Amino acid sequence: MEVSVIRSSSQAKISKTELGCRDLRFCFGKSNDKNKIFSRKPNSVCFDSQISRFRKAGLRFTLKAVHSDPILESKSPATSKSLDRLRLFVGLPLDAVSDGNSVNHARAIGAGLKALKLLGVEGVELPVWWGVVENEMGKYDWSGYLAVAEMVQKAGLKLHVSLCFHASSQPRIPLPKWVTKIGESQSSIFFADRSGQHYQQCLSLAVDDLAVLDGKTPVQVYQGFCESFKSTFSPFMGSTITGISMGLGPDGELRYPSHHKPAKSGTITGVGEFQCYDTNMLNLLKQYAEANGNPLWGLGGPHDAPTYDQAPNSNSFFKDHGGSWESPYGDFFLSWYSSELVSHGNRLLSLVSSIFGDTEVNVYGKVPLMHSWYKTRAHPSELTAGFYNTASRNGYEAVAEMFARNSCKIILPGMDLSDEHQPHDALSSPESLLAQIRTTCNKHRVEVAGQNLASGAPGGLEQIKKNMLGENPIDLFTYQRMGAHFFSPEHFPSFTEFVRSLSQPELHPDDLPSDEAEATESVQTSSDPNIHLQTA
Amino acid sequence: MAAVTIDSLLQNPTLVFRPKAKVLLKPPRSLDCSRNRKLPLSRGSCLCSFNPRRTIHVVRASSSETALIGNFDISSSDDILYKDIFPVKRIEKVEGKFFIRLDRSKDQHDWQLTVGCSLPGKWILHWGVSYLGDSGSEWDQPPKGMRPPGSIPIKDYAIETPLKKLSEGDIFHEVKIDFNPISEIAAIHFVLKDEETGAWYQHRGMDFKVPLVDYLEDDGNIVGAKRGFGVWSGALQQFSNVLLKSEASHADSQNNSIESKDSKNKNRCLEGFYEEQSIVKEVSVGNLVSVAVRKSPETGKVIVCLETDIPGDVVVHWGVCRDDAKIWEIPAAPYPPETTVFKNKALRTLLQPKATGNRSGALFTLDEEHFGFLFVLKLDENTWLKFKENDFYVPLLGTSSVPGQYGQSDSTSEEISSKSYTDGIINEIRNLVSGLSSEKSQKTKKKEVQESILQEIEQLAAEAYSIFRSSITTVPDEVVSETETTKPAVKISSGTGTGFEILCQGFNWESHKSGRWYMELKEKASEISSLGFTVIWLPPPTESVSPEGYMPKDLYNLNSRYGTIDELKELVKSLHEVGMKVLGDVVLNHRCAHFKNQNGVWNIFGGRLNWDDRAVVADDPHFQGRGNKSSGDNFHAAPNIDHSQEFVRKDLKEWLGWLREEIGYDGWRLDFVRGFWGGYVKDYLEASGPYFAVGEYWDSLSYTYGEMDHNQDSHRQRIVDWINATNGTAGAFDVTTKGILHSALERCEYWRLSDQKGKPPGVVGWWPSRAVTFIENHDTGSTQGHWRFPGGKEMQGYAYILTHPGTPAVFYDHIFSHHRSEIASLISVRNRNGIHCRSLVKIVKAERDVYAAIIDEKVAMKIGPGYYEPPSGSQRWSLALEGRDYKVWETS
Repeated sequence: MEVSVIRSSSQAKISKTELGCRDLRFCFGKSNDKNKIFSRKPNSVCFDSQISRFRKAGLRFTLKAVHSDPILESKSPATSKSLDRLRLFVGLPLDAVSDGNSVNHARAIGAGLKALKLLGVEGVELPVWWGVVENEMGKYDWSGYLAVAEMVQKAGLKLHVSLCFHASSQPRIPLPKWVTKIGESQSSIFFADRSGQHYQQCLSLAVDDLAVLDGKTPVQVYQGFCESFKSTFSPFMGSTITGISMGLGPDGELRYPSHHKPAKSGTITGVGEFQCYDTNMLNLLKQYAEANGNPLWGLGGPHDAPTYDQAPNSNSFFKDHGGSWESPYGDFFLSWYSSELVSHGNRLLSLVSSIFGDTEVNVYGKVPLMHSWYKTRAHPSELTAGFYNTASRNGYEAVAEMFARNSCKIILPGMDLSDEHQPHDALSSPESLLAQIRTTCNKHRVEVAGQNLASGAPGGLEQIKKNMLGENPIDLFTYQRMGAHFFSPEHFPSFTEFVRSLSQPELHPDDLPSDEAEATESVQTSSDPNIHLQTA
Repeated sequence: MAAVTIDSLLQNPTLVFRPKAKVLLKPPRSLDCSRNRKLPLSRGSCLCSFNPRRTIHVVRASSSETALIGNFDISSSDDILYKDIFPVKRIEKVEGKFFIRLDRSKDQHDWQLTVGCSLPGKWILHWGVSYLGDSGSEWDQPPKGMRPPGSIPIKDYAIETPLKKLSEGDIFHEVKIDFNPISEIAAIHFVLKDEETGAWYQHRGMDFKVPLVDYLEDDGNIVGAKRGFGVWSGALQQFSNVLLKSEASHADSQNNSIESKDSKNKNRCLEGFYEEQSIVKEVSVGNLVSVAVRKSPETGKVIVCLETDIPGDVVVHWGVCRDDAKIWEIPAAPYPPETTVFKNKALRTLLQPKATGNRSGALFTLDEEHFGFLFVLKLDENTWLKFKENDFYVPLLGTSSVPGQYGQSDSTSEEISSKSYTDGIINEIRNLVSGLSSEKSQKTKKKEVQESILQEIEQLAAEAYSIFRSSITTVPDEVVSETETTKPAVKISSGTGTGFEILCQGFNWESHKSGRWYMELKEKASEISSLGFTVIWLPPPTESVSPEGYMPKDLYNLNSRYGTIDELKELVKSLHEVGMKVLGDVVLNHRCAHFKNQNGVWNIFGGRLNWDDRAVVADDPHFQGRGNKSSGDNFHAAPNIDHSQEFVRKDLKEWLGWLREEIGYDGWRLDFVRGFWGGYVKDYLEASGPYFAVGEYWDSLSYTYGEMDHNQDSHRQRIVDWINATNGTAGAFDVTTKGILHSALERCEYWRLSDQKGKPPGVVGWWPSRAVTFIENHDTGSTQGHWRFPGGKEMQGYAYILTHPGTPAVFYDHIFSHHRSEIASLISVRNRNGIHCRSLVKIVKAERDVYAAIIDEKVAMKIGPGYYEPPSGSQRWSLALEGRDYKVWETS
């Protein structure tokens, strides 16, 4: 028979369980002269066979046993942080509302909302798709999303709305049909790579102010969408809806679709490709080159950049030493390429912040965490995505400054990624990149909210917790994403533990009272009235 | 396509889920809330599952709520003593149409079967085909080309295809199946399923069959014929046959339904047809009952004002009470109009329709001295609405002690109060997390509340999971990732016990012979416990046609060949005294009948559970059951119980509860769970709350040319699927591991003990916490020997399962044999090192003649004649145990 600790479940308690083991040793140790009585494991205490009389009796003790908390808590005011400041959101399924504007799995979402509310989650994030709402230009059907907003409100949760002006491939949520149709005859509204292939999941930033959509510019169309959203959802604004993310590009992120060809499984993410080859981008480049007195540089992108899934060294542009990125041409090109992205961000964020400026909602934009190849000098993945961030230049200054100018906050995904789980050869460092961006944001007083990339990454929850509770804590985190996996027996219990542990952070072992005198003392206080030995 | 009209003027905004779908509404006179056993499992019976303080308001309740409150006739709101609104749920029927059409596709070459349904819902066509020359009623999967896009294969015999609206304005959701009439397909079979409710729609208890050849045997389920249209979920109770409608283009075939026998064409003479039938779906509808109490300033009397938006005639069955005991009394007159006295116990008042809106209500004037007002609502003879299975209760006196809601007449204030309640719950959860709160007085009551909240969260998550899961196409990878396996068992769950269980099978195939097994085992109780076992599995206790107990007859008769019920209780008591948990072997799949039906078939039961043939599944011709089709495989020696019947489940749950209570069983070993859906097992386990439960899901492994395949993933997948269906509430015997051990040991092929991913190849590699590993049981070994473990290699088997994750089970015959001391040593190594059901196993060698693994970095083991020694690295290993072809080390 085992003696096992019957825990009522929180991660936060593990440390205490260990304390419990320690305590118990003092309780029973006298009768035993063998040194090893217990093998200590996070969740179990096993008696050596010598104390078999206890085993026979089916001894169990509950955690109530240990009674040293007040001391612990008073010792660590710095690390404890209440959930009230630390707000956790959970993303609703991407296809919560899809074609026909009906709510999918309404019953499951309803049950999920209740469960989240009971868990103490602050709210949910709802992706609102351009392709679902604006089926005809200028005509908006919000019915499905209104129904969801109402469900969320009834559940007593907050709502963060992500306005998605891009398409999703899995689950398939396309751009509005009328946009796709325009794209068929006018493919230059989409980004293109060097080989001329178009990326059709969002519009090219070069057409922002061109009247390519039946006489309107995309910015005007986005504006109409946002205004319609605002007036339709005005009863929820500020009360249920507390935040809005503006879609800024592929997957809603502020970036070029430089990595849209997924790496083959098992291989390392390549450097990606520059997306400056649609006619409108090339026009902009040409103008810029001419204005800078180097018309020949405006004819195309770098000729010596590798292709999507290649490593940096496979061509000369990103080479660590003597790569063209460090040449005057490289600087010319990268400055232009990255500034176009920042201007695009500025156009959209100034638009939304002016629309929502008179409401109480916070406006966010998402900045990607292009962490592969971060350990090289050139940071090729960031460069192709539009962030001119290298070993010698902080490319996030301009980005943070732009967010600050528009009083917008930044959502950073990938807070679940840790360096140790990255493939070694990828020279990637999500943690350092995250730290860099966050430091830059702090400098510009731009608030950062967190997001994870995928649920189920190894050590993901731990890493998120580290980011949320660390020295530079995050006060808003959106966990992605509700669905079958989220509620599965493999995942949900660990998520539950995670949520609960946030309210009382785990203590570092060093913080525990460590000298034996103290421990003995605590045993004495705890032994009689509080240790409950229950015979099973 | 037929136009669907609104049949009734009933205005119930809550019903119309998608405003565009016009549905046929039937007056809800036949709704039934209290005896709601026709609903499928997922719905359960839904009385007023409501607690006024903590409900998170349902969406649909809101609109009418405000209206209802606003409608109160409140002369001076200061007088309001009490006010509350009770949501109630009723089941209402929505009627719609359903059609089947067979016609040529556009190119006049292929044929097309179209199935459509006009009711709103998430409709799924669950279908398969049978081929020429097939016998029996088994389905096969249709060829790939025939599957419409979006189809999902279900195991290897069916396809599920969602019905879709072709365009937004369409009334019908439909699915089209194209096929080539020259193929080998003899018939298309299908049933219709509503994903939202989980209800199945069948044809006279069988599948719909659309024959594509003309000589198929008519089992009564061929469509095209004018037959009644039945449904086995029971969600639908009545069907009216609607006239067949043929499309004009097929006017000539109007009389020739496709099964027509007079067709002269030798092989195929397909005739198009179109058939339409009515279909009824039960939807749960929320209504409100509002009650306000005020004091009349003139008379000093108390006036209770009751109002509801339930349509139709509503009778309030009411009375008053004097104290907390809530004993009904009849107050003094006057009574409202339309009031009658019912059996001198209560009054019945018919609510009067209000001038505005679709509401009705009444005013009750009562003397001051009454303590409370009690009522239930009666909708018709069989339909009562109660409050959480109790009477509605409205306090009349002392109400002022509960202020807060009085006089607040807008719904937001209500919401606020419910919100603050949930916030309170959340705080409690947080306290629970903080666990060891510094306050010494943690009241048990509070703890119970917290636990029930945690349970509620779990249930909600499980509900959400089941819906989301059913809609994804890919089978999730069942491999539990390493980070998760290291997560400690957070609490006792019936799937794992504490996680540190070691199971003893406490009988063999001969145990019944002495007639006093219970007494014999009782003497061994302390001995078995001292070996380190925590759980013991006792033989099936019921009266049985076969002496071993697996052919149960009267479930409540526990006098068996193993001993009497009193001896059993005594045994359980002594086992508990030595600290062991006791599993009862319960046979839920089948039951032997007491009587024959009119055809001389044994399918009528006696005893306390005197079920008739409705409790028997329909698809085993031997027993002529009138229930639904089996949700699993059939056991052919006895009538298989139809678990889809609510009354069967209710009786079985009651029985399990009785066994827990009366005998003291702590959990279950579930016999032949292949025979019915795992979701029912979940239901049973949730109702009986066992400490531990394990199911016997035993089917054959895969062999190629008589040699067992290395990859047994499909075998373990089936077991894992079953565990999943129980939502992890039960473990399952790891038959896969036993089978692989057989081959590995017998043929000296130890490489088989690692799968492609380097994990254990059995269930224990995929879902260790739910795998109950074993090498022998009463069927495989003992005197039956259906599948005996390789002789002389038993200890290698135990060296494997007792050092590995999963919950190991040891067979009685092995405990009381010369293996005893070796088994005891292995158990003590396991316990000493705290190996549990989720321990991490690292396979370090899987070669021809040796297998070696390190578990939790604390125990190393090898089996097989080959050489292995654990690495001499940072850890120091010392040999703990050694036997024939096995060695076990632990860290020192």
